[in-house]
Amino acid sequence: MSALLDAQHVCKTFTRGGVFSSRRIHAVCDVSFRIEAEKPEIFTIIGESGSGKTTLARIILNIEQPTSGALLFDGIDLAMVRSSADRMVFMHKVQPIFQNPFEAFNPLKQLDRYLFMTRRRFLAAGDHADIDIAVDDALRRVGLSLKEVRYRYPHELSGGQLQRVAIARALLSNPRLIVADEPVSMVDASLRMSIVNLFKALRDDLGISIVYVTHDLATAYYISDRIIVMQKGIVVESGEARAVLNAPQHPYSRQLRAAVLLPEVAAAAPSATLSP
Amino acid sequence: MLAILRDLLRYNLEFRIGIVLVGFVLVLSMLSGFSPYPPQDVYVVPPDVPPSLSYWLGTTSRGQDVFWQLTFAIRNTLLFGCTVALISRALALVIGLLSGYKGGWIDRVLMSINDTFIVIPLLPVLVLFYFVMRDSMSWLMLALIMACLGWAYDARLIRSVAMSLKTREFTQSSVFSGMSTREILVQEHLPYVMPIVFSTTMNNMIWSIGLEVTLAVLGFTDINTPTIGGMIYWANQHTAMVAGVWWWIAFPTIAVVITFIGLFLLAVSMNEYIDPRSRLSRIGPVTS
Amino acid sequence: MTSAANSMGATQSDSAGPILSVGNLRAYFRTNHFGIHRTVRAVDGISFDVGRGEIYGLAGESSSGKTTLVRTIAGAIKPPLEVVGGTAEFSFLPGYDGLYRAPAAEVARIRWRHLSYIMQGSMNVLNPVRRLRKSFVDFARPHMAGTERKFERAVIDHLARVNLDASVLAAYPHELSGGMRQRVTIALATICRPDFIIADEPTTALDVIVQKDVLGMIRGIQREIGSSVLFVTHDMGVHAHLTDRLGIMYAGRLIEEATTAEIFRAPLHPYTRHLIASLPRIGNDAPRKGLEGTPPNLADPPPGCRFHPRCPLAMEVCSRSVPTMIGTAPGHRVACFAVNGSEEP
Repeated sequence: MSALLDAQHVCKTFTRGGVFSSRRIHAVCDVSFRIEAEKPEIFTIIGESGSGKTTLARIILNIEQPTSGALLFDGIDLAMVRSSADRMVFMHKVQPIFQNPFEAFNPLKQLDRYLFMTRRRFLAAGDHADIDIAVDDALRRVGLSLKEVRYRYPHELSGGQLQRVAIARALLSNPRLIVADEPVSMVDASLRMSIVNLFKALRDDLGISIVYVTHDLATAYYISDRIIVMQKGIVVESGEARAVLNAPQHPYSRQLRAAVLLPEVAAAAPSATLSP
Repeated sequence: MLAILRDLLRYNLEFRIGIVLVGFVLVLSMLSGFSPYPPQDVYVVPPDVPPSLSYWLGTTSRGQDVFWQLTFAIRNTLLFGCTVALISRALALVIGLLSGYKGGWIDRVLMSINDTFIVIPLLPVLVLFYFVMRDSMSWLMLALIMACLGWAYDARLIRSVAMSLKTREFTQSSVFSGMSTREILVQEHLPYVMPIVFSTTMNNMIWSIGLEVTLAVLGFTDINTPTIGGMIYWANQHTAMVAGVWWWIAFPTIAVVITFIGLFLLAVSMNEYIDPRSRLSRIGPVTS
Repeated sequence: MTSAANSMGATQSDSAGPILSVGNLRAYFRTNHFGIHRTVRAVDGISFDVGRGEIYGLAGESSSGKTTLVRTIAGAIKPPLEVVGGTAEFSFLPGYDGLYRAPAAEVARIRWRHLSYIMQGSMNVLNPVRRLRKSFVDFARPHMAGTERKFERAVIDHLARVNLDASVLAAYPHELSGGMRQRVTIALATICRPDFIIADEPTTALDVIVQKDVLGMIRGIQREIGSSVLFVTHDMGVHAHLTDRLGIMYAGRLIEEATTAEIFRAPLHPYTRHLIASLPRIGNDAPRKGLEGTPPNLADPPPGCRFHPRCPLAMEVCSRSVPTMIGTAPGHRVACFAVNGSEEP
């Protein structure tokens, strides 16, 4: 089986400071995992702030380079992807979804611009009608339509809608992998599930693998296939998602699991929940 | 564009005053086309006549009508200021945006050059150029030299805006939408940089005109083409203040002050309009 | 540590009257840029009471108006925000409709001694260029009598309650971690034993593990001092864990209010029901759905009940009239025609 994404002992170290005194921050230490090409899955990276999960996501997206180790996408080492032509080929297959839906698009520009641009740059040129249909299709898949989004500015839509437009944009290049960095943490709780359900649909209907980076164990439980837990740059636990989250082994994973606040109050007297 | 102007005219007092002042100065400069006397000629009218009905702003000790001289002077001065401003803005934009967005060695090289230019003392260098070039120092030459000296400070400003824009997520969205560096800089980042460009354009014009007046008063420019500074230079040569020919100095000064105030007001009001924050509060559904 | 009176604080305590009484409060943003008028009805007719010694939670999502509500209650009103009507009266500041109407001297008197705040960004409270000791002196010293030594002693004792060592007093804010800073903020807010604490998303920016600690500390101190807390957050898990009573806000209005247990056990308003049902839980991967539609634009809200465009139970009357909060059971109020019946008020 060939690997869609193959991380081999990836490390990333940042150096802060000047010539005479510098600190080295080991953001990511020796991370290895494989996502197979034949079987699309939702691969979740769990961690808190400072765990290195965002740095790892950026490395997968080729925005940062690993200090050591290698990251192979579809068999190609990302360190070889340097020229703009190579990058275009890479971005055709790997697309990001960012945390802040309000920042994902330029507030001064209309939204549909990005959608048309993505379609035009990555796929064979078509005439206006073809492109319109393609964009409309992508938007319908996420529960919107071109009519609703056309000529709109970002601030006219809610966080949930914006994130859906961002997903539609990512879909327009027909990617094989989507890297979503905390995609629902800034979306209202009532709208969150529709986006999370969307990820499931992308995996099941379109065969797109998703790297889902988050700190929220509940949504991770809901949609992940496999999961790795990161603490200070190191993978402390990995495995099948439900198994890991139902019965974590590592002390840190246990701590995380225990700290999750369940959205339910014990049916007994209210004072039952009052003990700190 | 017209809607913008209409909005500004309707709601912004500074803009109205600025437009009036600058309009007045522009009209004055356009009147130069109607001058009955060629600008370089001297002793075409009786000298030292105070402002009167036949000579509205009086005449100079060189026998020139102050009014018509002023039209040429203000036209040349404005042209000069515009040229310097445009060329230096273009330089500052290109260097600032590229440097801020690309980072790395491009940034370091460009900023080293930039810092060198900031430190150069302007007046001595300009005087030096004048002495080296003498008669071949035309106005265009001077404008080019000043443009090359005037971009450095603002390039750094633009660079810092570009650097902060680079970290914003929509830049990454643009990259992953397949946009090239040039497209991102022009289409995504430029609107954020425009307020700086605008206010620095006005600043730059004021600076260059001021410098030109200084140089001309000192005699370090081509003083035969009439400019505001040139008029003041000649007035000093003929000791106009002592001789009581106050109108020779007063009116060019008033004209240039009106120009400065008008430009400043325009800059301030357009800035408020273009500023992304106020733009955002104007877009979108309206209730009233 | 829990006193008998406080464990009964789950229901409204009218024994001494509520400590905060909000009556039909309306606060709008009015902007006028280049001739474009915009009125955002951020808080549009809100009424509720907070009793003594209880933790009242305010839940709501983006554009629910809860942040504006809290700012109004705290008196932090600046144009373009203005209070258009209603009251937000504190029992310790009688005679004024709200903090926003009181003179500065009165506000300064009650601030920190009777009313304090725990805010989201601890750096909003702590001066980054002053050591923490100075922050304590700035905020609390004016309200506490006694010598410097006694004050310092009191501060150190108080810090121990939030598991902080005396050494943090000599530190600058940036030298501490986010969790520690937030604990300092809690200590600052509670050292004068205020009657009322406004907590605005105090744990949202914190990691999950730290959050649980900090919430425990807030509750511990609250029980000990007996303050009332108005706890604002969008995180329903936090509400379930901490609050006694819960008010749900939607689009500038309060739509349901009950004890926290009741809200999670048997919510009545369609929005609340959908919200509770859609929350994911570990150990349960049954399919869940998000809510259809989007929150309304407060500059141009839908007429009548603001939830009606997205409501599965919407009736004709919902688009015409605004439902009022009616008590369905003791301590449980709902504003919904489908629940209360459609007689118009």
